Amino acid sequence: MDERAILDHQFTVAAYVIVWVVQLSYVAWLGLKWRAQKREAARKSRQM
Amino acid sequence: MKKLLIGLYAAVTLGLMAWGYYQAVYVAPLDAMQGEVSRIFYYHVPSAMLSFLFFALSLIGSIGYLAYKRKNADWAQRADALAVAGAQVGVVYCTIVLLTGPLWGRRAWGIWWTWDARLTTTLVLWLIYVSYLLLRRFAAGPQMQTLAAVLGIFGALDVPIVYMSNRWWRTQHPAPVFGGGDDAGIKDPQMLAAFGWNVLAWAAWGILILAIRYYVERRSQKLAAADAQDALSA
Repeated sequence: MDERAILDHQFTVAAYVIVWVVQLSYVAWLGLKWRAQKREAARKSRQM
Repeated sequence: MKKLLIGLYAAVTLGLMAWGYYQAVYVAPLDAMQGEVSRIFYYHVPSAMLSFLFFALSLIGSIGYLAYKRKNADWAQRADALAVAGAQVGVVYCTIVLLTGPLWGRRAWGIWWTWDARLTTTLVLWLIYVSYLLLRRFAAGPQMQTLAAVLGIFGALDVPIVYMSNRWWRTQHPAPVFGGGDDAGIKDPQMLAAFGWNVLAWAAWGILILAIRYYVERRSQKLAAADAQDALSA
């Protein structure tokens, strides 16, 4: 592989990794928010 | 039954994403001029298209909130949840567009960024919706949802400007994939198939995370309403 092809490959891999990191980070944040809400709802129901 | 259907939808979505990835990386031929970086297109363009779709859903939610605010409180809250879910998922997709575009541009144009109409209007769109989310996060009081709905409607006005920018003005950005004239668009059927599968896969994924975000927002509204009720009865 020449240098240009190697750089093209690295940039393409970087783009695909970024897409997955952004999407999965968002899903992880949603999961944490979901869990926090579930705990809050459970705490409220115990108080009542 | 509901859980089974959700699980089935998630499994189909993951299958579509794996298939889309396979098509983009192993099946679609390389662009003769651009080489391997042309594969960025299969994630970049669907993300751009879907960010428009989710901002449009946010617009519908914002209009719905203002329309139902005084008539039906429950429908207004549902519309508001759709508005925030659409805006947030739209920002996720738009962030991907703004991160993957410069990676392609660096190899294809030799520069990371240029202030051409398509890139600039996309950045403005992203900034408007980030400010929408910041407003929702930090503003308090009964007017917050109304202000957010108005900002959401004004923000959505930028979507057609972004879409038309490389038709209205001479830009460095490539011509539109669809409706860009005879020289533009995808000619190779394998490239077109890979593009189509990735649009479908990312749309399915986006709808899944939109539904989760909507559900989280609805639950948040219900918890806030219960807190307000407790405060009144205390």
